[in-house]
Amino acid sequence: MKRVLGVALGILTAIGGFVDIGDLVTNAVVGSRFGLSLVWVVGVGVLGICLFANMSGRVAAASGRATFEVIRERLGPRAGLVNLSGSFLINLMTVTAEIGGIALALQLASSVHYLMWIPVAAVAVWLVIWRVKFSIMENVTGLLGLTLIVFAVALFLLKPDWGALAGQALAAAVPAEETASSYWYYAIALFGAAMTPYEVFFFSSGAVEEGWSIKDLIQSRIDVLVGFPLGGLLSVAIAGCAAVVLLPAGIAVTSLSQIILPVAEGAGKVGLAFVLVGLVAATFGAALETTLSSGYTLAQFFGWSWGKFRRPAQAARFHLAMIICLLIGMAVLATGVDPVLITEYSVVFSAIALPLTYLPILIVANDPQYMGEHVNGRPVNVLGMVYLVIILVASLAAIPLMIVTGAGS
Amino acid sequence: MEVPIWWGNAPSAHRRSLLVLSVAFLAFLTGCTGQSGGTWHVLSTAVGDSASAIAAARLALGLDSAGKLTTAATSTALDDALRELQASRDTVLRLTPSTPEDRAVRQETLTVLDTCAAGLTTARDAVFSGNGSPSLADGDRALKSGADSLSQLKTKVDSK
Repeated sequence: MKRVLGVALGILTAIGGFVDIGDLVTNAVVGSRFGLSLVWVVGVGVLGICLFANMSGRVAAASGRATFEVIRERLGPRAGLVNLSGSFLINLMTVTAEIGGIALALQLASSVHYLMWIPVAAVAVWLVIWRVKFSIMENVTGLLGLTLIVFAVALFLLKPDWGALAGQALAAAVPAEETASSYWYYAIALFGAAMTPYEVFFFSSGAVEEGWSIKDLIQSRIDVLVGFPLGGLLSVAIAGCAAVVLLPAGIAVTSLSQIILPVAEGAGKVGLAFVLVGLVAATFGAALETTLSSGYTLAQFFGWSWGKFRRPAQAARFHLAMIICLLIGMAVLATGVDPVLITEYSVVFSAIALPLTYLPILIVANDPQYMGEHVNGRPVNVLGMVYLVIILVASLAAIPLMIVTGAGS
Repeated sequence: MEVPIWWGNAPSAHRRSLLVLSVAFLAFLTGCTGQSGGTWHVLSTAVGDSASAIAAARLALGLDSAGKLTTAATSTALDDALRELQASRDTVLRLTPSTPEDRAVRQETLTVLDTCAAGLTTARDAVFSGNGSPSLADGDRALKSGADSLSQLKTKVDSK
């Protein structure tokens, strides 16, 4: 019974923890401009993150070490440094976007300007990382993030023309008022949002934090293979709400306040309350994950003592690194730069940096020295190679498309 | 100075050229991602963005009057719309049109954007007004007027 409850909790937190500011903003922007014609990208992205999260969890369980530690040892310091640079910078950008997201969500709830909330959000993130147990932190934010299911509820309450929505999703085409280049630019952004590198670093480091062994792999596999696709459905619901309400009204999403309007229209003030709780929980949970991931990547590369399972005094540089990341994020946001804009750039730069994250994971997961009998099987490797090609194409096309489309504008 | 082990022992000239290339690449990206184009293209984008902002403001105001949105959420939505409108206005102000026709349409765009900004402030006042003056209906009327002007302007600008 305890095991079943553990699996259920794992699935629920995986669903609730799947959506972050990148998913929220990108799916809403895409829904408001392209309808559901890019929904296939969410499917591709979810399958990819399931594949690589599962792989990195297996690396952690089989070797007893986090993915980044193994990558540095297996590929050497130079290749590890390239991996570190790409992943860390994207992580830092995502930390900034998530803190901005918390502040924007709190502004929506209070009408106090988001710049006033930024220090509050950053200090709260630091306090939780400092004081709260890993499992409590992960479960509470994940479960509260489940309130974002209100997007799916609102979509039903809006009584859309399901046939038209299915038509958009199944016969994917570039809408008349958009260009092919912006269609593909946003396809890459959605892919980057679904496969953000921090998710695998957090997943594998979390496996070490929680002391996974090989026998925990079945539960983690169920969490990933059930929780992430259901989280992907949440992303589709966000795009669906935008497609039903904002697209016909000629509203192209540029702010968080616009993302909640379809929920308010469909589910009223009760729905609004749920969505605000969900926004805060999703962005706060992701801020914790990205801040921890920044600390993990640096500490694992430089060989510092790390982990929340250690007392902060025993992992001082790990904690100091996270505090510095939070301060940098706060400093960037204090300039007044739009957090939604940072989010839009962070998902595209995530896509650019994807090969730096996922190629090393594939290499390590095939090394019997670390994995023993748990190396990738042939089907996983074939799928992994297919994804590497997709990732490489997305990474190479992102910058030219960014230039051609003026960053999607 | 001791070279950190993770930096390796690459020749310094190689490292310098790598650094220069990276900086040049970033500068290239920064320069290229900005919106470029002629006067009419910039005006069309500014008018389109403003129309989207006004539509969002009208939706938020409508939901507020239907009791589906809180004052905090409505005022945030209106503030965001005003910010977007101001960003569009700044873009138009930076234009340097070369012909009298371009100058005239720029002036017309600025006038319409100012009307829309006034409509947004009326709507914002209506949300916070305790005595119903201006009312939410006044706010929506002001926004509708702005939306109509933008629609006419969009047709004119896009026809060029």
